Amino acid sequence: MIETFGKLFVNASFVCTILAVIGYFIYSRNNRNTYFRVSNWLFGIQGIFLLVASGFLLYIILTHQFNFYYVYNYTSSDLQLKYLISAFWGGQEGSFMLWVLFSTILGLGLMKWTDEPYRGPVLFFLALTQVFLLSMVSGISFGDFTLGASPFRSLAEAMPNAPFLQSNPDFVPQDGKGLNDLLKSPWMMIHPPILFVGFSMMTIPYCFAMAALWKRKYHEWVNPALPWTLGANVALLTAIFLGGYWAYVTLSFGGYWAWDPVENASFVPWLLGTAGIHTMIIQRKSSTSQKASIIFAILAYVAVVYETFLTRSGVLSDASVHSFVDLGLYNQLVIFMVAVTAIGLGLFFYRYKDLPSQEKESKLLSREFMTFAGAMVLFLLGLVIILGTSSPIIGRLFVENPTPPEVSFYNEWTMPLGMIAAVLTVLGQYLFWKRQDAESLAYELTWPVAVSCVVALASIIIGDVKNIYYMVYLLTAWFALIGNGVIMVRLIKKNSLLIGGALSHVGFAVLLLGILASSAYNTNLLDESMEKYNAAIEQGKVTDEQGFKKTQKVNFLELKLNQPKIIGDKYKVTYQGYTLKNQERSGQQEYQIKFEPADGNGKQFTLHPQVYPMLSASSRSNIQWSVDPDVRAGLFSDTYLYVSGSSYVERKNEQAKENAPQTKPDSTAQEDSVATQKISVGKGQTIAIGHLDLKFHDYSKATDAELQDSTAVAVRANLEVWERGSDNSVNLKPMFSVYSKNGENWTYAPPVAVPGYKDATIQFSSIDPSNGEIELTVRGIDEKVQQEWVLLVAEEKPFISVVWLGTFLLMAGFSVSIFRHWNRERKEY
Amino acid sequence: MKPKLIIGIVAIVGFTSLLMYNFGNSISTYVNFEQASGMEGAHVVGTWDDSQQYGFSMESKQFSFYMKDQEGNTRRVVYPKSKPNNFEQAEKLVVIGEMEDGVFYANEMLMKCPSKYNNADAAEFEKANTSKSS
Repeated sequence: MIETFGKLFVNASFVCTILAVIGYFIYSRNNRNTYFRVSNWLFGIQGIFLLVASGFLLYIILTHQFNFYYVYNYTSSDLQLKYLISAFWGGQEGSFMLWVLFSTILGLGLMKWTDEPYRGPVLFFLALTQVFLLSMVSGISFGDFTLGASPFRSLAEAMPNAPFLQSNPDFVPQDGKGLNDLLKSPWMMIHPPILFVGFSMMTIPYCFAMAALWKRKYHEWVNPALPWTLGANVALLTAIFLGGYWAYVTLSFGGYWAWDPVENASFVPWLLGTAGIHTMIIQRKSSTSQKASIIFAILAYVAVVYETFLTRSGVLSDASVHSFVDLGLYNQLVIFMVAVTAIGLGLFFYRYKDLPSQEKESKLLSREFMTFAGAMVLFLLGLVIILGTSSPIIGRLFVENPTPPEVSFYNEWTMPLGMIAAVLTVLGQYLFWKRQDAESLAYELTWPVAVSCVVALASIIIGDVKNIYYMVYLLTAWFALIGNGVIMVRLIKKNSLLIGGALSHVGFAVLLLGILASSAYNTNLLDESMEKYNAAIEQGKVTDEQGFKKTQKVNFLELKLNQPKIIGDKYKVTYQGYTLKNQERSGQQEYQIKFEPADGNGKQFTLHPQVYPMLSASSRSNIQWSVDPDVRAGLFSDTYLYVSGSSYVERKNEQAKENAPQTKPDSTAQEDSVATQKISVGKGQTIAIGHLDLKFHDYSKATDAELQDSTAVAVRANLEVWERGSDNSVNLKPMFSVYSKNGENWTYAPPVAVPGYKDATIQFSSIDPSNGEIELTVRGIDEKVQQEWVLLVAEEKPFISVVWLGTFLLMAGFSVSIFRHWNRERKEY
Repeated sequence: MKPKLIIGIVAIVGFTSLLMYNFGNSISTYVNFEQASGMEGAHVVGTWDDSQQYGFSMESKQFSFYMKDQEGNTRRVVYPKSKPNNFEQAEKLVVIGEMEDGVFYANEMLMKCPSKYNNADAAEFEKANTSKSS
């Protein structure tokens, strides 16, 4: 039922868009309003159909209909509601639908606010991109060829070769495979939707640029396109920030940025869009750079589609931790990419002769030149990153089977470009608000340069910077901060709505400072013995068991339960145990690691890193563990920590191995090896058995019905047992009784099982009347008392807060600009 | 030709060739253990040889195991961290590091696991199926 209707609505929506595309095309040629109105209706109906289809998809997810491949593959019945909802965009098919939904909403806005002569072509191109996107989820078959992958396809359709489905096509699995545990994070709720808002908004400058080319009106389009492009920019930046923050606080990547292809996929369109914003602004002000504005608007969207291709076609599946696999959309994605690029660049070069060109060249010291140069630097940055991300494809020019580039490739190229950009922002801003010649500019810049030198020198001394490259970098970053800061203060006095640009540039400068400080001064927190060990490795004095010389330093530390260690000469850390109670994921342990200042001055705090089994990928005999770091964010530095191993995890792994189906049954041998020990414990005492702690609280009277009538004595021992370090205890009440039968006294003391342990029992075997101690017979638990331990990776990350601050300032600057340009646009009518 | 145009062309050609040269140097190809000797940052692809001893040693503070590359050469691999949590599950390993005296010192290790993002293959699916019926 839903299967048919779901597919029907998706395809009805697909057909409506195609019709709307045709309608908009005719309207753009003959300007008859009827065509525009009809196409708008078709476009709107398309949206309604898609909304209904999305409702169906959400419905089958929420009602756990595992006969659908999408539901089976991305959800399971134990998922919380918030993750069920986010499963909607957890897979490729749903995320394409979300993308089109956002695009449709934007289309409604464009209908209302776009004027002649652009509105026809703008909507034509917007609808055209939706045709491509909807074709990815259509699922119509033509003979052997299937167009796209429908989110409503059944298991049997998705896996035609699975033997159990061939014998029973109506088979419905009990439960789904579940959402990837790494995606079970609140960030999953907001990061992908905002990213798709950004992607769909980035379509709009493309549509406007194409409309300008079509209608040969190359000047006015930037006015309406600018606020949309700025909006796309803020949305993408927000998405990038959320992704970086997500990676930092919940994945153990160790930082906010890893040059991962998927991260780059959102960053490159942002860079190109920002380049476009710069050229659009100068085009608006001084009627130059028409060509550049059009080409950047086209390239920003081409980058969106190209990066979509890279991450969704499966070409990167070896290179990235989180790219999608091929759903059989490879060819369709290639066609999409080629079409968008060919139409865009084709029309551009077709009109090239017609495009206005500048009569006289801009002077070097002009806002036009500086802003254009800034846009070029952003473009080059984008180019470098695209090149690195495309290594699986472009790398084939150099080697067969290429690996991704080293991270240093990105760093070595982006750093100098960032420094050039930093200087250009100041020159550009000083020239932007006032025409100046070299002399007046030099005069105005004297103070900012002088102050920057002093501040940079101070930070070099305070930060103990020894690298000359970093020194220059610091100088340029401080110069950008101070120069743009001065401009911003001046503008606030004049009209605070004008500060968008200056504020964004201040944010960029802060970001540059934050990036250097946080990445160059990242330190591992180690205890003294580890530091010595690493020093010995450096001197080549350490060999391993096989006698090989060790060359690699160690960056973790080991903590034993309740035995503090001093790390980094700064903190006294103590492993205080772990809890299994009230955890969000089943089987998760939350560790308590207490940090106290080593010298006793200052606040203490406790971090709670977590380890949890990835249930979806684990089996009974083999558990896959994943970690969730904990971060203590501070104004100047963050303390970052995760657990890379613990005695609890080791024990669980061993238990899992015992659960594995055994190839050689040797049960007799096992029974013999069950350890038996007798221990005595007094009231109120706690004793250690193996890895367990046991406390004898009290006696209580046994009043069971199962007791013999002739029972003389019957007591229970109230015991509390827990794994050492854990706060998760169980209460056991083994019984000891004496009864008489045939004139003889007999004891009845049944052993009780220890929950969670195979073959482990505790028996209350006797009482010592002289001192009230009880004797317990413990079976199946190691006699040796074991130490609880954790392996930790702890890092001190300075000035992460500055990175976030820079990002927020950038967002704020762009938002002010949106406001200003939007207001101006609206006033014109 | 205008001098500015020439400077522009030279700058573009210079930038592009430098970029491509540097890019070409920063990527490498996946190799086997034999080829890895003498290389810095060699990427070796292979599978874990579970017939030999492996494990994390607290004394030497490292995780070591034997890996068989795609040509069938087996070498000892040393990784200076604790054992990755999903090591045994990995169907393919990529170790990045240096070969020294017949031992591969991995600075980084990537594990290709049967991921949840991937499509369900029939085998995995059948497992889910049998556990339901039992």
